[in-house]
Amino acid sequence: MALPHVAQRSAEPARISMDSGVRRGPRPGARRRPMIEVRGLRKEYPVGDESVVALERIDLAVPRGQICCIYGESGSGKSTLLNQLAGLEKPTRGAVRIGGVPVSSLSERELAVFRQRHLGFVFQSYNLLPTLNAVENVAMPLMFRGVPKERRERAARAMLERVGLKGRMGHYPAQMSGGQQQRVGIARAFIAGPQVVFADEPTGNLDSRTKVEVMEMICDFAHAHRQTIVLVTHDDHMARYADRIVTLFDGRIVDDTPNTH
Amino acid sequence: MRFADILRLCRQNLLRRKSRTVLTVLGVVVGCCSIVLMVSLGAGINEQNERMLESMGDLSIITVYTGGSGAGGGADGKPAALDDKAVEEFRSIPQVAGVTPMASMPYTASLKTGGGDRYVVDYVQVMGIDTTQLDAMGYVLLEGRAPLRPGEALLGEYTAYDFTDRFRAGEDSMRYHSRGSGGMCVYDETTGTCREVADDPDPFFDPLDTPLTLVTGPSFNGLLSSEGVMAGDTGAGAPLETTLTPVGILEEDYNKGGATSSGVILPLDDLKRLIRDADPSSARASAYDQVLVKVSDMAQVGEVEDQIRALGFGTSSVRQMRENLEEQSRAIQLILGGIGAVSLLVAAIGIANTMVMSVTERTREIGIMKALGCTVRDIRIMFLGEAGAIGFIGGAIGCVISAVASVAINLVSFGSVDVRGVVTALVGGGEAVRVSVIPWWLYLFALAFSTAIGLLSGFQPANRAVRIPALDAIRNTT
Repeated sequence: MALPHVAQRSAEPARISMDSGVRRGPRPGARRRPMIEVRGLRKEYPVGDESVVALERIDLAVPRGQICCIYGESGSGKSTLLNQLAGLEKPTRGAVRIGGVPVSSLSERELAVFRQRHLGFVFQSYNLLPTLNAVENVAMPLMFRGVPKERRERAARAMLERVGLKGRMGHYPAQMSGGQQQRVGIARAFIAGPQVVFADEPTGNLDSRTKVEVMEMICDFAHAHRQTIVLVTHDDHMARYADRIVTLFDGRIVDDTPNTH
Repeated sequence: MRFADILRLCRQNLLRRKSRTVLTVLGVVVGCCSIVLMVSLGAGINEQNERMLESMGDLSIITVYTGGSGAGGGADGKPAALDDKAVEEFRSIPQVAGVTPMASMPYTASLKTGGGDRYVVDYVQVMGIDTTQLDAMGYVLLEGRAPLRPGEALLGEYTAYDFTDRFRAGEDSMRYHSRGSGGMCVYDETTGTCREVADDPDPFFDPLDTPLTLVTGPSFNGLLSSEGVMAGDTGAGAPLETTLTPVGILEEDYNKGGATSSGVILPLDDLKRLIRDADPSSARASAYDQVLVKVSDMAQVGEVEDQIRALGFGTSSVRQMRENLEEQSRAIQLILGGIGAVSLLVAAIGIANTMVMSVTERTREIGIMKALGCTVRDIRIMFLGEAGAIGFIGGAIGCVISAVASVAINLVSFGSVDVRGVVTALVGGGEAVRVSVIPWWLYLFALAFSTAIGLLSGFQPANRAVRIPALDAIRNTT
């Protein structure tokens, strides 16, 4: 019963604490069932008259608070899997549930509201809006939720301070280095206190020293509030930060091992 | 998303590409100006027509005459008689303020006065009306009072200026009056130019203090043209001479009889008696040639006119003319407005183009916003807001420029530039005849229309923006 569930969640008042921007309180269904649940997922893309299978027979369960790395060479289907998990694309077959909500069968509007409330994103190319400064970029997810400007920008400044950009509040993306931009991106992903943060090659464009900083920052945030991270990467150095490494090859899960670092 | 936030994003996006926004707005400004100015020229024609009708006199007068265009006829098939009974019928129509029969002297009439009949005027209009109805009919007494006793008469506004001095020759034999059309022009032979006479001269005599002699008769041909007739050598009898005492002067109003300009106005009974005395054989029926009906409210002229026609009479009023003029200026306004609308259409294409470009440029941003949870509705509102803002700003600037241009056009037509002229050019008033008239509703209409054009042109681009999948934000890596 997808709709009543979503409606009930939407009715919850947005609880955002000012110090961290992280949401507290009970998370329905989080204790008993895994945060992310994937069953029999299959994705085909039409190419000309034929269709290419990008993902096949994917079954996955990620418990709350886990940092799960989806590892694979390019073309292995890891980005496709991330799109299915985040509800950016509909699977051909199978279902994805996040916190018990069947995201693969939500309408576009329900998905938008669900993303506002429960998901965060860190992109490889940062994807900050060039017309907005650092504070406005970080506050953007709260703006979509209708939080008043003053409140959301106070939260955004607190987040920027936590990622070490206290002196860059009013800077525009073009005035910042890649590492700084990605830190803004991380602040933006975590400001609304999402239950799950998807990170797509978050260190792909960074030098090795900044990579470590960025990854540690993501992991710290996640551990502090028991947030679930899905990290997609082809860099095995980065995979070390994960609690668990799921390896994809040709659209199938070929390996799924816990990481004991 | 809050509306204020959407507006803020709109503003940021419009300011991002300043020159493009400015150029697009400029297109709307031109379109808006052309529509407003074109329609204002049409409205100017309207105002000119209105002034013209006003100068023609009282617009609420209906002239009733016997017969009419075939529609008439009483119960017995004969045309309805325009007699005292009919006058009472007209008076009983609720919207009617006053009724008077209007009779005129069927013979040539002349006036003479002064020692040795020095001052004369030929072919004077002599009109008989019900002088008890002067106020009700809206006749304006410039001087004096209404006639009370037999032998008292009213003069037209310029009657006294029609007299010729028989003892003088050339220019000196008349006293000219400019009659409300600006200064009188006197040709100066030495300089060869036209010299304006500042003040109108007084007539030869004081019209309210000088008894006049009215000369008339069935075979009378005028005092100046045929002196011989004066001697009474024709068989039909000598002309009749009556002494009249002018007691008042009426304001000129052709809709209430030409005699109000240069003629003599007598009480109806006096005129009847005069005609009987001049020619006893002309024992006329009790019917009148014409009856004037004054309607209390100008807007009801048509209604009253229809009622009178239904009684079997013919009517005429300025209504028909007014309707024709209005129809004409409406057609002109439509054509002019259409020409203006074409340029606004071009502006609309400009807005659509700008918005399509903007959507294409911002594909990636739209994707990011969608991925971060911005709803489709908010994205649509944002793009429509940008397009609408271009229309609104263009419309507002266009209205201001139109107002300035309209004032400039009017000042050129007035031929003078001063503070009072500027005010008159903007809001009109007084006797001023403006070429370009912008009524207040035209500003509102132009603003609303420009905004609507903006929204309409933004509709398709906004739909395009909405259809961009969130995925593109992630795929389109730089």
